[in-house]
Amino acid sequence: MKSCSNTEVRRCRPLLGTFVEITATGLDEGQIGRAIEAGFDAIERVQRLMSAHDPSSELSQVNEEAFLRPVKVSHETFEVLKRGISLARESAGAFDFTIAPLLARWGLLPAHLRRSGNGDWRNVQMLAHRRVRFTKPLAIDLGGIAKGFAVDEAIERLRRCGVSSALVNAGGDLRAFGPKSFIIRLRHPIQQRLLTRTLRLRDAALATSSPCFTESRLRRCPISHLINPLDGSAVTGGISVTVRAPECWLADALTKVVLTQPILATQLLAKHTSEALVFTV
Amino acid sequence: MRPTIEWVVLPAAMVSAPCATHAVQYLSVAAAQQAMFPGATLTPADRRLTDAEHKAIETASGVRGRGRQRDLKLWRVEGGGWFIVDEVIGKHEFITYALGLNADGSVKHIEVMDYRENYGAQVRDEKWRNQFRGKSHGANLKLNDDIRNISGATLSCRHLTDGVKRLLATYEIVLKH
Repeated sequence: MKSCSNTEVRRCRPLLGTFVEITATGLDEGQIGRAIEAGFDAIERVQRLMSAHDPSSELSQVNEEAFLRPVKVSHETFEVLKRGISLARESAGAFDFTIAPLLARWGLLPAHLRRSGNGDWRNVQMLAHRRVRFTKPLAIDLGGIAKGFAVDEAIERLRRCGVSSALVNAGGDLRAFGPKSFIIRLRHPIQQRLLTRTLRLRDAALATSSPCFTESRLRRCPISHLINPLDGSAVTGGISVTVRAPECWLADALTKVVLTQPILATQLLAKHTSEALVFTV
Repeated sequence: MRPTIEWVVLPAAMVSAPCATHAVQYLSVAAAQQAMFPGATLTPADRRLTDAEHKAIETASGVRGRGRQRDLKLWRVEGGGWFIVDEVIGKHEFITYALGLNADGSVKHIEVMDYRENYGAQVRDEKWRNQFRGKSHGANLKLNDDIRNISGATLSCRHLTDGVKRLLATYEIVLKH
């Protein structure tokens, strides 16, 4: 049985290109320490598997070979790809993780991910025995979903280790677990030092996407890491979308749909018991 | 029934209320040492880098070191390995972190020890309501009280990654032999 200790432990590490913070309570300090360690391990594993930047990741192997032959992947990668495809279908392509070639052309991903042709999510086949195949030359970037998934994986490990409450915050994509209600502050999309709203989060996830984080890029040139997959244009301007969803991968991915297709997103949010807060400046 | 999307127009230039500092201490030096090298004896070995070393490290790592980073806060780990405390200052943040190195100079562990960020308060978001359905009212919270969990567009950890690069070059040039 769980002890009723009130000790709260917080740790922070640089992972997924950002600062990942884990807060947990409900065990003795040593046990919480080990639970948090397990949480970070889960995030590191997702990073190792699904980074498009890292040439030795499983995703890089898929990008390299899946057009030539089916590639067998881990449970985790298979799961993320499956969920990504299902969300692409539900959003009629407003969420599409095959935008890597475009990001590569803009210099936001390594050049070897450039592809010619018009392959999209419909050309990613999920086969038996966790194998993946591309039916056109394409490349996947899981930047819009894997960070949220990593947060979910960490929460799952913490839960299994027996903590009673936990919060995993991967640079703003976060998820709370347990009966405790966490106070979350939202950053102003342009004036990063200003906080705009306060909300409470219990047993749910929150993710924010905004193209206006990189100020210099915003001012000088109309590209961003957020793309409307339907027309290949960059999402730019003073807008920031925060989605609350039951799980973090979903919150993470739905922010992209809200940014590009807000009307369609309304139905999708309702379907997934999620909601969005859109800030425009 | 409330809509699933709420639109809020924020003023592009908000007047900043008095600043609040978001400061978290995750680990003390002793706690970080214990977390990285449980049970091991660590011997302080602080040293100041010479001009030549400082320059060589900058060249090797491609990362500029600031003046105060010439004073290495260093511990030698019994049985091989190093523990280094360093700080980086980025665009928005001030961070103290610890790097643990294995006996062969590879990275064993990185832990953020202190994280500090300054914030202004929102003052003109007039439609202040506690938006998300079914959540209790949070507007009466004082900014200074507890800025602990922040969501927003992702902050990059590049400054810290650069710091680690600089320390790995420091190991190669100064500590290895």
